[in-house]
Amino acid sequence: MRKGLIQATDSFERIVHWSLAVSCLILCLSGLGMMFHSLNFLGEPFGGLKSLKYIHNITALFFILALFFTVSMWWKEAGVFVFPEDLDWIKCAGGYLWHVDKVPEVGKYNPGQKMFFLVVAAGGVAMIFSGLIMLFPLHIPAMIVRLMYLIHAAGFVAIFAFFFIHLYLGTVGSPGSLPAMLTGWVSRPWLKKQHAKWLKEMEEHGTLVVYGEEKSSSHGHHG
Amino acid sequence: MAEYVKLIDVSKCTGCRGCQLACKQWNAQPAKQTENHGTYQNPPDLQANTWTLIRFQEIEEKDGKLKWLFRKDGCMHCTDAACVKVCPSGALYVTDIGTVGLNRDLCIGCKECISACPFDIPRYDRKTDKVYKCDLCLSRIKADLIPACAKACPTGAITFGEKGKMIEKAYARAKELGGDASVYGDKFVGGTHVMYVLDEKPGVYEHLPKSPSVPLSVILWKDIMKPLSLLAAGGVIAGSFLHYIIHGPKLPDEETGQEQKGGE
Ligand code: SF4
Ligand code: SF4
Repeated sequence: MRKGLIQATDSFERIVHWSLAVSCLILCLSGLGMMFHSLNFLGEPFGGLKSLKYIHNITALFFILALFFTVSMWWKEAGVFVFPEDLDWIKCAGGYLWHVDKVPEVGKYNPGQKMFFLVVAAGGVAMIFSGLIMLFPLHIPAMIVRLMYLIHAAGFVAIFAFFFIHLYLGTVGSPGSLPAMLTGWVSRPWLKKQHAKWLKEMEEHGTLVVYGEEKSSSHGHHG
Repeated sequence: MAEYVKLIDVSKCTGCRGCQLACKQWNAQPAKQTENHGTYQNPPDLQANTWTLIRFQEIEEKDGKLKWLFRKDGCMHCTDAACVKVCPSGALYVTDIGTVGLNRDLCIGCKECISACPFDIPRYDRKTDKVYKCDLCLSRIKADLIPACAKACPTGAITFGEKGKMIEKAYARAKELGGDASVYGDKFVGGTHVMYVLDEKPGVYEHLPKSPSVPLSVILWKDIMKPLSLLAAGGVIAGSFLHYIIHGPKLPDEETGQEQKGGE
Protein backbone atom coordinates (compact mmCIF):
# COMPACT_ATOMS: atom_id res chain seq x y z
CA MET A 1 0.00 0.00 0.00
CA ARG A 2 1.22 3.45 -0.83
CA LYS A 3 0.94 6.55 1.23
CA GLY A 4 -1.90 8.82 0.19
CA LEU A 5 -4.21 6.11 -1.11
CA ILE A 6 -7.82 6.36 -0.08
CA GLN A 7 -9.99 3.56 1.17
CA ALA A 8 -12.97 3.03 -1.16
CA THR A 9 -14.37 -0.25 0.11
CA ASP A 10 -14.10 -2.19 3.33
CA SER A 11 -13.21 -5.85 3.48
CA PHE A 12 -16.81 -6.95 4.01
CA GLU A 13 -17.87 -5.28 0.78
CA ARG A 14 -15.06 -6.95 -1.09
CA ILE A 15 -15.77 -10.38 0.31
CA VAL A 16 -19.44 -10.09 -0.59
CA HIS A 17 -18.58 -8.75 -4.03
CA TRP A 18 -16.25 -11.63 -4.82
CA SER A 19 -18.59 -14.24 -3.38
CA LEU A 20 -21.26 -12.98 -5.72
CA ALA A 21 -18.86 -12.71 -8.64
CA VAL A 22 -17.37 -16.18 -8.25
CA SER A 23 -20.71 -17.91 -7.66
CA CYS A 24 -22.21 -16.02 -10.61
CA LEU A 25 -19.32 -17.09 -12.83
CA ILE A 26 -19.63 -20.73 -11.79
CA LEU A 27 -23.38 -20.54 -12.42
CA CYS A 28 -22.81 -19.04 -15.87
CA LEU A 29 -20.27 -21.68 -16.84
CA SER A 30 -22.16 -24.67 -15.49
CA GLY A 31 -25.35 -23.25 -17.00
CA LEU A 32 -23.67 -22.85 -20.37
CA GLY A 33 -22.51 -26.45 -20.15
CA MET A 34 -26.12 -27.54 -19.86
CA MET A 35 -27.47 -25.01 -22.32
CA PHE A 36 -25.37 -25.97 -25.33
CA HIS A 37 -24.73 -29.56 -26.36
CA SER A 38 -21.41 -28.40 -27.75
CA LEU A 39 -20.42 -27.29 -24.24
CA ASN A 40 -21.53 -30.50 -22.50
CA PHE A 41 -17.85 -31.35 -22.17
CA LEU A 42 -17.55 -28.74 -19.40
CA GLY A 43 -18.95 -31.46 -17.17
CA GLU A 44 -16.25 -33.97 -18.07
CA PRO A 45 -13.67 -32.91 -15.47
CA PHE A 46 -16.31 -33.43 -12.79
CA GLY A 47 -17.52 -36.80 -13.99
CA GLY A 48 -20.23 -35.81 -16.42
CA LEU A 49 -23.09 -33.46 -17.06
CA LYS A 50 -24.98 -34.64 -14.02
CA SER A 51 -22.22 -33.30 -11.78
CA LEU A 52 -22.60 -29.99 -13.55
CA LYS A 53 -26.25 -30.01 -12.54
CA TYR A 54 -25.30 -30.54 -8.90
CA ILE A 55 -22.58 -27.88 -9.08
CA HIS A 56 -25.12 -25.46 -10.56
CA ASN A 57 -27.73 -26.19 -7.91
CA ILE A 58 -25.35 -26.04 -4.96
CA THR A 59 -23.59 -22.91 -6.19
CA ALA A 60 -27.03 -21.33 -6.45
CA LEU A 61 -27.27 -21.53 -2.65
CA PHE A 62 -24.08 -19.49 -2.29
CA PHE A 63 -25.37 -17.10 -4.90
CA ILE A 64 -28.60 -16.59 -2.96
CA LEU A 65 -26.62 -15.77 0.16
CA ALA A 66 -24.20 -13.48 -1.64
CA LEU A 67 -27.02 -11.69 -3.43
CA PHE A 68 -28.82 -11.17 -0.15
CA PHE A 69 -25.78 -9.48 1.37
CA THR A 70 -25.06 -7.55 -1.81
CA VAL A 71 -28.50 -6.05 -1.95
CA SER A 72 -28.80 -5.32 1.75
CA MET A 73 -25.36 -3.69 1.83
CA TRP A 74 -25.57 -1.61 -1.34
CA TRP A 75 -29.16 -0.81 -2.11
CA LYS A 76 -29.07 2.50 -0.28
CA GLU A 77 -25.96 3.63 -2.12
CA ALA A 78 -26.48 1.98 -5.50
CA GLY A 79 -30.19 1.30 -5.70
CA VAL A 80 -31.50 4.84 -5.44
CA PHE A 81 -31.10 7.48 -8.10
CA VAL A 82 -30.51 11.07 -6.99
CA PHE A 83 -32.02 13.77 -9.10
CA PRO A 84 -31.16 15.89 -10.93
CA GLU A 85 -27.46 15.04 -11.05
CA ASP A 86 -27.98 11.38 -12.02
CA LEU A 87 -30.20 12.47 -14.88
CA ASP A 88 -27.56 14.92 -16.11
CA TRP A 89 -25.00 12.16 -15.91
CA ILE A 90 -27.21 9.81 -17.93
CA LYS A 91 -27.82 12.53 -20.55
CA CYS A 92 -24.11 12.70 -21.27
CA ALA A 93 -23.60 8.96 -20.66
CA GLY A 94 -21.07 9.81 -18.01
CA GLY A 95 -18.64 10.92 -20.68
CA TYR A 96 -18.07 7.29 -21.61
CA LEU A 97 -19.39 7.42 -25.15
CA TRP A 98 -18.57 10.83 -26.54
CA HIS A 99 -16.50 13.77 -25.46
CA VAL A 100 -18.04 15.72 -22.61
CA ASP A 101 -16.32 18.79 -21.22
CA LYS A 102 -17.66 18.51 -17.75
CA VAL A 103 -19.20 15.28 -16.54
CA PRO A 104 -21.56 15.86 -13.60
CA GLU A 105 -19.94 14.83 -10.36
CA VAL A 106 -21.30 11.67 -8.78
CA GLY A 107 -21.21 10.04 -5.37
CA LYS A 108 -20.01 6.57 -4.48
CA TYR A 109 -21.84 5.04 -7.43
CA ASN A 110 -22.55 6.62 -10.77
CA PRO A 111 -25.90 6.03 -12.51
CA GLY A 112 -24.30 3.44 -14.77
CA GLN A 113 -23.16 1.47 -11.78
CA LYS A 114 -26.58 1.93 -10.23
CA MET A 115 -28.21 0.48 -13.33
CA PHE A 116 -25.78 -2.39 -13.22
CA PHE A 117 -26.62 -2.96 -9.59
CA LEU A 118 -30.33 -2.93 -10.33
CA VAL A 119 -29.95 -5.38 -13.20
CA VAL A 120 -27.91 -7.70 -11.01
CA ALA A 121 -30.37 -7.40 -8.14
CA ALA A 122 -33.55 -7.79 -10.21
CA GLY A 123 -31.99 -10.30 -12.57
CA GLY A 124 -30.57 -12.26 -9.66
CA VAL A 125 -33.92 -12.42 -7.92
CA ALA A 126 -35.58 -13.50 -11.19
CA MET A 127 -32.93 -16.20 -11.66
CA ILE A 128 -33.36 -17.47 -8.11
CA PHE A 129 -37.13 -17.50 -8.33
CA SER A 130 -37.33 -19.17 -11.74
CA GLY A 131 -34.49 -21.52 -10.86
CA LEU A 132 -36.20 -22.74 -7.72
CA ILE A 133 -39.35 -23.54 -9.67
CA MET A 134 -37.28 -25.30 -12.32
CA LEU A 135 -35.70 -27.34 -9.57
CA PHE A 136 -39.04 -28.38 -8.07
CA PRO A 137 -41.42 -28.38 -11.04
CA LEU A 138 -43.46 -31.50 -10.46
CA HIS A 139 -46.45 -30.00 -8.71
CA ILE A 140 -46.58 -26.78 -10.67
CA PRO A 141 -48.57 -26.41 -13.91
CA ALA A 142 -46.31 -27.07 -16.89
CA MET A 143 -47.31 -23.73 -18.45
CA ILE A 144 -45.78 -21.85 -15.54
CA VAL A 145 -42.66 -24.00 -15.42
CA ARG A 146 -42.08 -23.36 -19.14
CA LEU A 147 -42.34 -19.65 -18.47
CA MET A 148 -39.69 -19.99 -15.77
CA TYR A 149 -37.29 -21.52 -18.29
CA LEU A 150 -37.90 -18.54 -20.52
CA ILE A 151 -37.25 -16.12 -17.65
CA HIS A 152 -34.11 -18.02 -16.67
CA ALA A 153 -32.84 -17.78 -20.24
CA ALA A 154 -33.73 -14.09 -20.56
CA GLY A 155 -32.02 -13.38 -17.25
CA PHE A 156 -28.95 -15.13 -18.54
CA VAL A 157 -28.92 -13.00 -21.69
CA ALA A 158 -28.85 -9.86 -19.54
CA ILE A 159 -26.46 -11.06 -16.85
CA PHE A 160 -23.99 -12.64 -19.26
CA ALA A 161 -23.79 -9.48 -21.36
CA PHE A 162 -23.56 -7.25 -18.30
CA PHE A 163 -20.80 -9.42 -16.93
CA PHE A 164 -18.52 -8.44 -19.80
CA ILE A 165 -19.41 -4.76 -19.55
CA HIS A 166 -18.57 -4.90 -15.88
CA LEU A 167 -15.33 -6.74 -16.58
CA TYR A 168 -14.29 -4.13 -19.14
CA LEU A 169 -15.17 -1.07 -17.09
CA GLY A 170 -13.69 -2.55 -13.96
CA THR A 171 -10.33 -3.11 -15.61
CA VAL A 172 -8.90 -1.67 -18.82
CA GLY A 173 -11.91 0.54 -19.58
CA SER A 174 -11.36 2.55 -16.46
CA PRO A 175 -7.82 2.16 -15.17
CA GLY A 176 -7.53 2.60 -11.46
CA SER A 177 -10.92 1.03 -10.72
CA LEU A 178 -9.79 -2.50 -10.07
CA PRO A 179 -7.92 -1.78 -6.81
CA ALA A 180 -11.22 -0.59 -5.33
CA MET A 181 -12.34 -4.20 -5.31
CA LEU A 182 -8.95 -5.85 -4.77
CA THR A 183 -7.21 -4.00 -1.96
CA GLY A 184 -9.89 -1.42 -1.43
CA TRP A 185 -7.40 1.45 -1.73
CA VAL A 186 -7.67 3.82 -4.67
CA SER A 187 -5.70 6.84 -5.75
CA ARG A 188 -6.95 10.33 -5.12
CA PRO A 189 -6.88 11.41 -8.79
CA TRP A 190 -8.97 8.39 -9.72
CA LEU A 191 -11.47 9.09 -6.99
CA LYS A 192 -11.61 12.73 -7.98
CA LYS A 193 -12.27 11.84 -11.59
CA GLN A 194 -14.79 9.08 -10.96
CA HIS A 195 -16.58 9.99 -7.76
CA ALA A 196 -15.76 13.58 -7.01
CA LYS A 197 -18.91 14.19 -5.02
CA TRP A 198 -18.22 11.24 -2.82
CA LEU A 199 -14.69 12.44 -2.17
CA LYS A 200 -16.02 15.85 -1.17
CA GLU A 201 -18.63 14.29 1.09
CA MET A 202 -16.07 12.15 2.83
CA GLU A 203 -13.82 15.11 3.30
CA GLU A 204 -16.64 17.20 4.68
CA HIS A 205 -17.84 14.49 7.04
CA GLY A 206 -14.33 13.63 8.02
CA THR A 207 -14.80 9.99 7.04
CA LEU A 208 -11.97 9.93 4.55
CA VAL A 209 -9.47 7.20 5.31
CA VAL A 210 -6.06 7.97 3.88
CA TYR A 211 -3.31 5.42 4.01
CA GLY A 212 -0.41 6.43 6.15
CA GLU A 213 -2.22 9.35 7.72
CA GLU A 214 -2.78 8.50 11.31
CA LYS A 215 -5.64 10.73 12.20
CA SER A 216 -8.40 11.23 9.72
CA SER A 217 -11.53 11.59 11.79
CA SER A 218 -13.41 10.21 14.69
CA HIS A 219 -15.51 7.95 12.42
CA GLY A 220 -12.65 6.79 10.26
CA HIS A 221 -11.35 3.29 10.65
CA HIS A 222 -8.38 1.61 9.14
CA GLY A 223 -8.91 -1.45 7.05
CA MET B 1 -34.24 -45.82 -42.83
CA ALA B 2 -37.91 -45.58 -43.45
CA GLU B 3 -40.12 -43.98 -40.83
CA TYR B 4 -42.43 -46.21 -38.83
CA VAL B 5 -45.72 -45.52 -37.13
CA LYS B 6 -47.71 -47.27 -34.46
CA LEU B 7 -51.43 -46.94 -35.09
CA ILE B 8 -53.88 -47.25 -32.22
CA ASP B 9 -57.46 -47.86 -33.30
CA VAL B 10 -59.34 -47.06 -30.09
CA SER B 11 -62.57 -48.39 -31.58
CA LYS B 12 -61.12 -51.88 -31.43
CA CYS B 13 -59.75 -51.61 -27.90
CA THR B 14 -61.54 -53.63 -25.24
CA GLY B 15 -59.52 -52.25 -22.33
CA CYS B 16 -57.88 -55.58 -21.54
CA ARG B 17 -54.58 -53.89 -20.75
CA GLY B 18 -52.57 -56.61 -22.40
CA CYS B 19 -50.38 -53.90 -23.92
CA GLN B 20 -49.80 -52.32 -20.53
CA LEU B 21 -48.54 -55.59 -19.16
CA ALA B 22 -46.50 -56.50 -22.22
CA CYS B 23 -44.77 -53.13 -21.92
CA LYS B 24 -43.87 -53.77 -18.30
CA GLN B 25 -42.65 -57.23 -19.14
CA TRP B 26 -40.45 -56.32 -22.08
CA ASN B 27 -38.97 -53.33 -20.31
CA ALA B 28 -38.65 -55.21 -17.00
CA GLN B 29 -40.59 -52.59 -15.09
CA PRO B 30 -42.09 -53.77 -11.79
CA ALA B 31 -45.65 -52.96 -10.88
CA LYS B 32 -46.50 -50.83 -7.90
CA GLN B 33 -49.34 -51.40 -5.46
CA THR B 34 -52.04 -48.85 -6.19
CA GLU B 35 -55.33 -47.93 -4.57
CA ASN B 36 -58.77 -48.18 -6.04
CA HIS B 37 -59.87 -44.79 -7.27
CA GLY B 38 -63.37 -45.86 -8.17
CA THR B 39 -62.38 -46.73 -11.71
CA TYR B 40 -60.95 -49.70 -13.54
CA GLN B 41 -58.11 -47.54 -14.74
CA ASN B 42 -55.02 -48.72 -12.98
CA PRO B 43 -52.50 -47.29 -12.23
CA PRO B 44 -54.15 -43.86 -12.11
CA ASP B 45 -51.56 -42.24 -14.34
CA LEU B 46 -48.36 -42.82 -16.28
CA GLN B 47 -45.46 -43.47 -13.94
CA ALA B 48 -41.72 -43.74 -14.13
CA ASN B 49 -42.26 -47.49 -14.45
CA THR B 50 -45.52 -47.38 -16.42
CA TRP B 51 -44.83 -46.06 -19.89
CA THR B 52 -48.17 -46.90 -21.40
CA LEU B 53 -51.57 -47.00 -19.84
CA ILE B 54 -55.17 -47.56 -20.88
CA ARG B 55 -57.22 -44.58 -19.84
CA PHE B 56 -60.76 -45.55 -18.90
CA GLN B 57 -63.42 -42.92 -19.39
CA GLU B 58 -67.19 -42.98 -19.21
CA ILE B 59 -69.25 -40.72 -21.44
CA GLU B 60 -72.97 -40.41 -21.98
CA GLU B 61 -74.23 -40.98 -25.47
CA LYS B 62 -77.07 -39.07 -27.12
CA ASP B 63 -79.63 -41.71 -26.20
CA GLY B 64 -78.57 -41.48 -22.57
CA LYS B 65 -76.67 -44.75 -22.63
CA LEU B 66 -73.25 -44.99 -21.03
CA LYS B 67 -70.25 -45.56 -23.23
CA TRP B 68 -66.79 -46.61 -22.19
CA LEU B 69 -63.81 -45.07 -23.92
CA PHE B 70 -60.45 -46.80 -23.79
CA ARG B 71 -57.43 -44.90 -24.93
CA LYS B 72 -53.89 -46.21 -24.79
CA ASP B 73 -51.79 -43.30 -23.62
CA GLY B 74 -48.03 -42.98 -23.97
CA CYS B 75 -45.32 -41.14 -25.85
CA MET B 76 -46.50 -39.95 -29.27
CA HIS B 77 -43.00 -39.88 -30.77
CA CYS B 78 -43.36 -36.42 -32.27
CA THR B 79 -41.36 -35.35 -35.31
CA ASP B 80 -40.93 -31.86 -33.84
CA ALA B 81 -40.37 -33.26 -30.37
CA ALA B 82 -40.34 -30.54 -27.72
CA CYS B 83 -38.61 -32.92 -25.34
CA VAL B 84 -35.67 -33.39 -27.70
CA LYS B 85 -35.49 -29.66 -28.24
CA VAL B 86 -35.05 -28.92 -24.55
CA CYS B 87 -33.04 -31.93 -23.40
CA PRO B 88 -29.64 -30.52 -22.40
CA SER B 89 -27.78 -33.80 -22.35
CA GLY B 90 -28.81 -35.37 -25.62
CA ALA B 91 -30.45 -38.21 -23.68
CA LEU B 92 -33.60 -37.70 -25.74
CA TYR B 93 -32.94 -38.03 -29.44
CA VAL B 94 -34.69 -38.67 -32.72
CA THR B 95 -33.95 -42.17 -33.99
CA ASP B 96 -33.45 -42.99 -37.64
CA ILE B 97 -36.96 -44.42 -37.86
CA GLY B 98 -38.40 -41.11 -36.67
CA THR B 99 -39.26 -42.16 -33.13
CA VAL B 100 -37.87 -40.48 -30.00
CA GLY B 101 -35.39 -42.58 -28.10
CA LEU B 102 -34.14 -42.05 -24.56
CA ASN B 103 -30.58 -42.85 -23.61
CA ARG B 104 -30.94 -43.13 -19.87
CA ASP B 105 -27.21 -43.15 -19.20
CA LEU B 106 -27.06 -39.57 -20.42
CA CYS B 107 -30.15 -38.30 -18.59
CA ILE B 108 -29.25 -35.89 -15.78
CA GLY B 109 -32.73 -35.70 -14.31
CA CYS B 110 -33.18 -32.01 -14.99
CA LYS B 111 -36.89 -32.55 -15.76
CA GLU B 112 -36.85 -30.03 -18.59
CA CYS B 113 -38.57 -32.51 -20.90
CA ILE B 114 -41.43 -32.96 -18.42
CA SER B 115 -42.68 -29.41 -18.70
CA ALA B 116 -41.89 -29.14 -22.41
CA CYS B 117 -43.85 -32.18 -23.63
CA PRO B 118 -47.25 -31.10 -24.96
CA PHE B 119 -48.66 -34.56 -24.15
CA ASP B 120 -47.39 -34.68 -20.54
CA ILE B 121 -45.53 -37.95 -21.03
CA PRO B 122 -42.07 -38.13 -19.39
CA ARG B 123 -42.07 -39.23 -15.76
CA TYR B 124 -39.36 -38.64 -13.20
CA ASP B 125 -38.05 -41.19 -10.74
CA ARG B 126 -36.46 -39.74 -7.63
CA LYS B 127 -34.57 -42.90 -6.79
CA THR B 128 -32.56 -42.96 -10.00
CA ASP B 129 -32.83 -39.19 -10.62
CA LYS B 130 -33.76 -39.92 -14.20
CA VAL B 131 -36.71 -39.61 -16.52
CA TYR B 132 -38.58 -42.46 -18.18
CA LYS B 133 -40.87 -42.83 -21.14
CA CYS B 134 -41.82 -45.22 -23.95
CA ASP B 135 -39.13 -45.67 -26.60
CA LEU B 136 -41.46 -47.60 -28.89
CA CYS B 137 -39.42 -50.74 -28.16
CA LEU B 138 -36.47 -49.51 -30.17
CA SER B 139 -34.48 -52.61 -29.26
CA ARG B 140 -37.24 -54.83 -30.66
CA ILE B 141 -37.66 -52.81 -33.82
CA LYS B 142 -33.93 -53.01 -34.44
CA ALA B 143 -34.24 -56.77 -34.10
CA ASP B 144 -37.02 -56.76 -36.66
CA LEU B 145 -39.76 -57.29 -34.08
CA ILE B 146 -42.82 -55.13 -33.62
CA PRO B 147 -43.30 -53.23 -30.32
CA ALA B 148 -44.35 -55.42 -27.40
CA CYS B 149 -47.72 -53.70 -27.01
CA ALA B 150 -48.61 -54.24 -30.67
CA LYS B 151 -47.53 -57.86 -30.38
CA ALA B 152 -49.67 -58.44 -27.31
CA CYS B 153 -52.86 -56.73 -28.45
CA PRO B 154 -55.45 -59.47 -28.99
CA THR B 155 -57.96 -57.38 -30.96
CA GLY B 156 -55.65 -55.79 -33.50
CA ALA B 157 -56.21 -52.31 -32.07
CA ILE B 158 -52.45 -51.69 -32.09
CA THR B 159 -50.61 -52.15 -35.35
CA PHE B 160 -47.17 -51.13 -36.45
CA GLY B 161 -45.75 -50.48 -39.88
CA GLU B 162 -44.24 -48.17 -42.40
CA LYS B 163 -45.45 -44.57 -41.99
CA GLY B 164 -47.17 -43.96 -45.32
CA LYS B 165 -49.03 -47.23 -45.20
CA MET B 166 -50.21 -46.68 -41.64
CA ILE B 167 -51.54 -43.21 -42.45
CA GLU B 168 -53.45 -44.66 -45.39
CA LYS B 169 -54.79 -47.40 -43.20
CA ALA B 170 -55.84 -44.90 -40.54
CA TYR B 171 -57.84 -42.79 -42.97
CA ALA B 172 -59.49 -45.84 -44.49
CA ARG B 173 -60.53 -47.02 -41.04
CA ALA B 174 -61.85 -43.60 -40.01
CA LYS B 175 -63.91 -43.49 -43.17
CA GLU B 176 -65.21 -46.96 -42.50
CA LEU B 177 -66.24 -45.97 -38.96
CA GLY B 178 -67.93 -42.77 -40.18
CA GLY B 179 -69.66 -40.37 -37.79
CA ASP B 180 -67.25 -38.47 -35.54
CA ALA B 181 -64.37 -40.81 -36.27
CA SER B 182 -61.10 -39.13 -37.17
CA VAL B 183 -57.38 -39.64 -37.54
CA TYR B 184 -55.20 -38.08 -34.85
CA GLY B 185 -51.48 -37.44 -35.12
CA ASP B 186 -50.45 -36.60 -38.66
CA LYS B 187 -51.46 -32.92 -38.55
CA PHE B 188 -49.39 -31.47 -35.71
CA VAL B 189 -45.89 -31.38 -34.20
CA GLY B 190 -44.60 -32.37 -37.61
CA GLY B 191 -46.57 -35.59 -37.45
CA THR B 192 -46.41 -38.11 -34.62
CA HIS B 193 -45.13 -41.66 -34.91
CA VAL B 194 -47.92 -42.92 -32.72
CA MET B 195 -51.30 -42.20 -34.29
CA TYR B 196 -54.88 -42.76 -33.29
CA VAL B 197 -58.09 -43.61 -35.02
CA LEU B 198 -60.57 -42.00 -32.64
CA ASP B 199 -64.27 -42.79 -32.88
CA GLU B 200 -65.25 -39.73 -30.88
CA LYS B 201 -64.10 -36.14 -31.50
CA PRO B 202 -60.57 -35.59 -30.14
CA GLY B 203 -61.86 -33.09 -27.55
CA VAL B 204 -63.91 -35.83 -25.89
CA TYR B 205 -60.89 -37.81 -24.69
CA GLU B 206 -59.40 -36.88 -21.36
CA HIS B 207 -55.71 -35.93 -21.30
CA LEU B 208 -55.61 -35.66 -25.06
CA PRO B 209 -54.77 -32.15 -26.31
CA LYS B 210 -56.94 -31.08 -29.23
CA SER B 211 -54.21 -29.36 -31.18
CA PRO B 212 -50.87 -29.96 -29.49
CA SER B 213 -47.83 -27.95 -30.50
CA VAL B 214 -44.31 -27.29 -29.37
CA PRO B 215 -45.00 -24.68 -26.65
CA LEU B 216 -44.28 -21.09 -27.69
CA SER B 217 -42.16 -20.55 -24.61
CA VAL B 218 -39.96 -23.47 -25.62
CA ILE B 219 -39.47 -21.96 -29.07
CA LEU B 220 -38.70 -18.51 -27.64
CA TRP B 221 -36.33 -20.05 -25.16
CA LYS B 222 -34.42 -22.35 -27.47
CA ASP B 223 -34.58 -20.50 -30.78
CA ILE B 224 -34.43 -16.88 -29.61
CA MET B 225 -32.93 -16.58 -26.12
CA LYS B 226 -30.22 -19.19 -26.57
CA PRO B 227 -28.58 -17.60 -29.62
CA LEU B 228 -29.31 -14.15 -28.21
CA SER B 229 -27.25 -14.86 -25.11
CA LEU B 230 -24.15 -15.48 -27.22
CA LEU B 231 -24.97 -12.64 -29.57
CA ALA B 232 -25.41 -10.16 -26.74
CA ALA B 233 -22.23 -11.23 -25.00
CA GLY B 234 -20.32 -11.16 -28.27
CA GLY B 235 -21.72 -7.73 -29.04
CA VAL B 236 -20.66 -6.43 -25.66
CA ILE B 237 -17.14 -7.79 -26.04
CA ALA B 238 -16.82 -6.31 -29.52
CA GLY B 239 -18.36 -3.06 -28.28
CA SER B 240 -15.91 -2.86 -25.39
CA PHE B 241 -13.01 -3.37 -27.74
CA LEU B 242 -14.28 -0.69 -30.12
CA HIS B 243 -14.86 1.61 -27.18
CA TYR B 244 -11.30 1.12 -26.07
CA ILE B 245 -9.73 1.83 -29.43
CA ILE B 246 -12.10 4.62 -30.51
CA HIS B 247 -13.06 6.51 -27.37
CA GLY B 248 -10.38 5.22 -25.09
CA PRO B 249 -10.48 4.37 -21.40
CA LYS B 250 -11.50 6.86 -18.80
CA LEU B 251 -8.33 8.01 -17.13
CA PRO B 252 -7.93 10.06 -14.01
CA ASP B 253 -6.74 13.60 -14.68
CA GLU B 254 -3.11 13.79 -13.80
CA GLU B 255 -2.48 15.98 -10.87
CA THR B 256 0.60 18.02 -10.56
CA GLY B 257 2.92 16.31 -8.21
CA GLN B 258 2.67 13.14 -6.26
CA GLU B 259 0.39 10.77 -8.17
CA GLN B 260 1.81 10.92 -11.67
CA LYS B 261 4.48 8.31 -11.56
CA GLY B 262 2.22 5.64 -10.14
CA GLY B 263 0.55 4.80 -13.39
CA GLU B 264 -2.25 2.73 -11.88
S1 SF4 C 1 -44.97 -37.09 -26.80
FE1 SF4 C 1 -43.72 -35.85 -25.43
S2 SF4 C 1 -42.10 -37.27 -24.75
FE2 SF4 C 1 -43.04 -38.18 -26.61
S3 SF4 C 1 -41.79 -37.40 -28.32
FE3 SF4 C 1 -43.51 -35.98 -28.11
S4 SF4 C 1 -42.66 -34.36 -26.77
FE4 SF4 C 1 -41.31 -36.13 -26.54
S1 SF4 D 1 -34.68 -35.12 -17.53
FE1 SF4 D 1 -33.22 -36.35 -18.74
S2 SF4 D 1 -34.29 -36.81 -20.65
FE2 SF4 D 1 -35.43 -35.13 -19.67
S3 SF4 D 1 -34.55 -33.22 -20.52
FE3 SF4 D 1 -33.38 -33.66 -18.65
S4 SF4 D 1 -31.61 -34.87 -19.32
FE4 SF4 D 1 -33.11 -34.93 -21.02
